[in-house]
Amino acid sequence: MQRRGITIDDTFAEAFPMKATRLVITAHNATWAMHAAVAATGFATSVIACGCEAGIERELEAGQTPDGRPGVAVLMFAVSGKELAKQIERRVGQCVLTCPTTAVFAGLAEGEPANLGRNLRFFGDGWQTSKVIGGVRYWRVPVMDGEFVAQESTPVIKGVGGGNLLLLATGTDAALAGAEAAVAAMRRVPNVILPFPGGVVRSGSKVGSKYAALPASTNDAFCPSLTHLAPRTELDADVRCVLEIVIDGLAETDVAAAMRAGLAALVERGAEAGVRRVSAGNYGGKLGPFHFHLHRLEPAEDAR
Amino acid sequence: MNHRLVLRQGPPLRVDARALTPALLGALSADEVRRLRLPHGREGVMLAELFDVRPGRDDGQHALVLEGDLSRFDAIGAGLAEGTMEVHGPVGDAAGLGMSGGRLLIRGDARDLAGCAMRGGWLEVDGSIGDLGASALPGERDGMRGGTLVVRGAAGHRLADHMRRGTVVVFGDAGDFVASRMVAGTLALAGRCGVHAGFGMRRGTVLFAGPAPEPAASFVPVNSDAPVFWQLLARDLARFGGPFDGLSKRRVDRWAGDLAVLGHGELLIPH
Repeated sequence: MQRRGITIDDTFAEAFPMKATRLVITAHNATWAMHAAVAATGFATSVIACGCEAGIERELEAGQTPDGRPGVAVLMFAVSGKELAKQIERRVGQCVLTCPTTAVFAGLAEGEPANLGRNLRFFGDGWQTSKVIGGVRYWRVPVMDGEFVAQESTPVIKGVGGGNLLLLATGTDAALAGAEAAVAAMRRVPNVILPFPGGVVRSGSKVGSKYAALPASTNDAFCPSLTHLAPRTELDADVRCVLEIVIDGLAETDVAAAMRAGLAALVERGAEAGVRRVSAGNYGGKLGPFHFHLHRLEPAEDAR
Repeated sequence: MNHRLVLRQGPPLRVDARALTPALLGALSADEVRRLRLPHGREGVMLAELFDVRPGRDDGQHALVLEGDLSRFDAIGAGLAEGTMEVHGPVGDAAGLGMSGGRLLIRGDARDLAGCAMRGGWLEVDGSIGDLGASALPGERDGMRGGTLVVRGAAGHRLADHMRRGTVVVFGDAGDFVASRMVAGTLALAGRCGVHAGFGMRRGTVLFAGPAPEPAASFVPVNSDAPVFWQLLARDLARFGGPFDGLSKRRVDRWAGDLAVLGHGELLIPH
């Protein structure tokens, strides 16, 4: 399929169920809320070795948070509820509790509760107090700038991880510019995060490796340096740079909406901008239950 | 079906009314309701001797309406777990005693022990209540353990004594020893209170939305703000309206105590 000169492969992104939650981090001002959110979602690009995938979903105005202060909504995804709970506790404990003036709240209404402030309260060494307000339990832990308030638990729901787009471009500049435009469009979609640096990953992986110890290794079929070397390649001679955008979302429809927005942004720029082809990563369709077919995510009429 | 019980004449002795719950009466026909026996003094009395039983509004929910001067009826709504009960008129002691759910609305005064040992639900008194509201039964250590008690009028002495959880909101004045021996929970008071507020409180919050008493010597000022907690509490209390609306725009002083016991309680004094 061609759109404005860009070839859209007849393939699909294969995504997996994950456990997900949203946290709302507030602070005295937006700057400090962002410091905490950046720290809490750091080193959270891939569940392969980070424990979870996390990112900033959006900034919140003072009127949108439970305590009327500016805040940041972050999403966290992990392979199991247990692992997610561990990551929440570690990341909030080390990155939010520690950050001046912050407080942390659950950002979802319903789901299986996972501990948020429930164990962090013990940092209070006996001085902590609990408060039930409007049916919700909060913990108040005395800290050097006043007190740290954390909601007792946060609901965990089933999310979708691993939606993706592969951008095949004529060079580094074109690939980066295309990826940046797509990321900017996708970040406007609610309920999703793009967990990699700047939303973009250059080390797309395939399952398995020639080395028994590695569960994943470089996606050689999309490496332009191996176009004429690898036994199987997906690339033509004019592709000199491939970048991937990975999407985690709270629901299948959210991931689809983000992919659609990204695709639309790429198509709008046209093939002259350098992104010549858009593809997606999958494992043959046997591993992940969610399949996002690019041809079914066609950009809206006005964007063509 | 739902019923409306209209008191024909006040009983000569006190009546234990805890059997009158919306769920129980909703399962009975009007005739069966009329034949109910209520403890009256040392004997019993047929409900029909005291009340006219009329059909109530049926909106799919269990609801029971009582009308008349029920000040000789004790334990109205005691043990209420579901449904709505509305009383048009004053009631006796122990209204809402140990209730765990549902809504009990009293369009009049209630006497002592209103909301005593309450565990959940919503108890609203348009008038005033007597002593020991939201407290523990005499000899027991557990006061109110959940739910919400709203008093539009005044409250007597020992309000929220031994309270452990839940919310008490009083629009009028309160007597001596409010929140005495409080274990936890929230008491918000708009009017004046008597002496010894927070006497022996271990944890919990007492908010003086109106005139505040001088904290006792066993309370100490807290040298930092708690803006997050204050906003959460003030925004939640705003739903009660009146003196509790607009609290979130005020700053608050905090006092910790009672240091004679655990000292994790707090008095909140907005200014």
